[in-house]
Amino acid sequence: MKIFVSCVSPIVAALLVATAAMAQDKVPLKTQLPKPLFVGTPVPLNVPNLEPPLKGKRADFMVPAGTVLLSKGKKVTASDDSPVTGTLDLVTDGDKAGDEGSWVELGPGKQWVQIDLAKKATIYAVLVWHYHSQARVYRDVVAQVSDDPNFKSGVTTIFNNDFKNEVGAGAGKDQNYVETYQGKLIDAKGAQGRYVRLYSNGNTTNKLNDYIEVEVWGKPAA
Amino acid sequence: MASGFARSLWLRWVLFLFVAFLGLAVRLPKLGERPMHTDEAINGYIVGQLLAGEPFRYDPQDRHGPALSALALPLARMQGAKSFSDLTESELRLCPVIAGTVTILLFGAAVEMFGFLPCFVAALLFAFGPLSVYYDRYFIHETLFCAATFGLILSGWRAAERRSLVNAAIAGACAALMLASKETAVLHFFALMAAAVVFWLWSRPEARARVWTRILLTGGGTFLALSALLYTWFGENWRALPALLTATPHLLSRAAGQGHGKPLWYFGQLLVSGRSGGVLIALACLGFFAVMKRRDPSAYRFLAIYFVLIAAIYSLIPYKTPWLALNLWLPIALFAGGAISLLWQAATSHALVRIAIPAFGVLAILVGTSIAHDTRQRVFLQPADENNPYAYAHTTDDILGLPTEISEFAQRDGISNPRIAVIASDPWPLPWYLRHFSQVGFWQPGRQPDQADFYITSTDIAEQYQAQFKDFRPDFFGERPGVLILLWLPAPK
Repeated sequence: MKIFVSCVSPIVAALLVATAAMAQDKVPLKTQLPKPLFVGTPVPLNVPNLEPPLKGKRADFMVPAGTVLLSKGKKVTASDDSPVTGTLDLVTDGDKAGDEGSWVELGPGKQWVQIDLAKKATIYAVLVWHYHSQARVYRDVVAQVSDDPNFKSGVTTIFNNDFKNEVGAGAGKDQNYVETYQGKLIDAKGAQGRYVRLYSNGNTTNKLNDYIEVEVWGKPAA
Repeated sequence: MASGFARSLWLRWVLFLFVAFLGLAVRLPKLGERPMHTDEAINGYIVGQLLAGEPFRYDPQDRHGPALSALALPLARMQGAKSFSDLTESELRLCPVIAGTVTILLFGAAVEMFGFLPCFVAALLFAFGPLSVYYDRYFIHETLFCAATFGLILSGWRAAERRSLVNAAIAGACAALMLASKETAVLHFFALMAAAVVFWLWSRPEARARVWTRILLTGGGTFLALSALLYTWFGENWRALPALLTATPHLLSRAAGQGHGKPLWYFGQLLVSGRSGGVLIALACLGFFAVMKRRDPSAYRFLAIYFVLIAAIYSLIPYKTPWLALNLWLPIALFAGGAISLLWQAATSHALVRIAIPAFGVLAILVGTSIAHDTRQRVFLQPADENNPYAYAHTTDDILGLPTEISEFAQRDGISNPRIAVIASDPWPLPWYLRHFSQVGFWQPGRQPDQADFYITSTDIAEQYQAQFKDFRPDFFGERPGVLILLWLPAPK
């Protein structure tokens, strides 16, 4: 028994120290939220298989210390070269207000935007604001990370609520959600890659695809 | 040229028939593509009830008059519809398309009142203008109401001018058609009667003493008989008559707004919108003020008084919807036509006629192009878009995917005849979109629905049915901009 205790104790101690160190390394992700454009949550949903609405501000999302905003001002490309409204640079310009002129609107049906982070990074969170001046749900939202700009190889899917597999990234199991001023926070779980691609397939108001802002948080690869 | 056409009755009608034909051709393409607005869905449901052999039951709380259904029913039957589920968007919308085409044609009958060129221009504006084309493809009462109003003005004027009993009877029939379309006809009756009184007092004082008893009796008798015939659904529902008399308190309460309250200038703002709106309203103003400046007792003067009254009434009532602007568009088109006629006269009588005529042609092309742009944009490219000022609280395209998704999932799960339960305080326009399914039930929130394969709920009440939905996966659908509903699909096993 004594031998067992003497063997296990250092391991437990080491684990506790490591956990404490890891916990100390985690910090809340701090992003600036825009002003809400519609009052209250219009859809008080608390039902199975559906993302419950945020009551007040979202709980802190912990990311490793040193996590920075990687996407600000980075180059954006898209499946639609001629957006219906706005320009692609609006996706990473830092303006999340949601007022007229703060979003880019891609054509109808399945579309994607892609952010080039300029170099490989470890990604911990992606925040997406599609549109938040009315209650809308964007269809078939898929977020992927890859080092391949064509997303043909080494693709990590970090979010997928396309349960009918319309996008072709496989049937997703994530939940539908209603857009709000707080944006959608996607836990990227440390996925690595230089490019972040986001798909959508119209929304509940029209067939178009809007992006006010996308924030990619992580650490650049050493 | 204009006087030649005016003199030759045959040529005139060929020309107006041609414009009406063009108007029809503009109104028919893609007639069924725009999603059904809630009001269209309700009107479609009523036609479905009539197809099933039920009589029209007038309800002042919930329905307008029976005229639209009475005309849509034979049209639907002619196209092969036997039940509600057989009906299609384009079958129903054919009724207002025809009413709109008739309105264009009526300008040909207005030449004696307003002159050839003003009527021809007004017919063109009605045939191609975005507002009239848009709502002539909308299965609501307004287009029919507008046609009947124009018919009443034309036949009423002729009855008075010629002391014609036939025209008096037509006027009575048009008035009955107006009332059987919308109860708000009384506002137009008031404006028309007030305009007639003011017109006679101002313009024809020598006619004050004349009493046309026979004309009034003929017109009034036709009006009462036809109104009773339509409202009672050809004698099947006599309760409709006392119900019609009790409609006033309900209409007054609705006039306060009921969620549709808008500012005084709403219709002005709507009519000047787009590339062409400003120019057309400027032309109409020019025509209006030219009429008011002349002090001759013309039909235009009567129209101007009527327009001022009806525009004031519609603007002062807080309850406003964009299709009501169609009632203003009719006199506006005639005033704009009058202005064009004046400009044409000025241009052709001027010494520099060789310069004026091409300049006139260029202006016509510019205005025509801007009208074509607005009509294309609002009617065909963005008919249900929330940025389209005519698409008011419109059903979104997204809802079109709902019945398809139910069918797909029913097929996936081997359900041949899916049971669908809808729980919502206001389910419209869902009855229209679920009409092809034979087992559909509607429940008010708080009620326990029957066991179903698919559930549809409004988002605010879904939480009450947590236990029932535990084996279901929800999918959002947009009903209107900013209004979501949930379709609960059987979760994969």
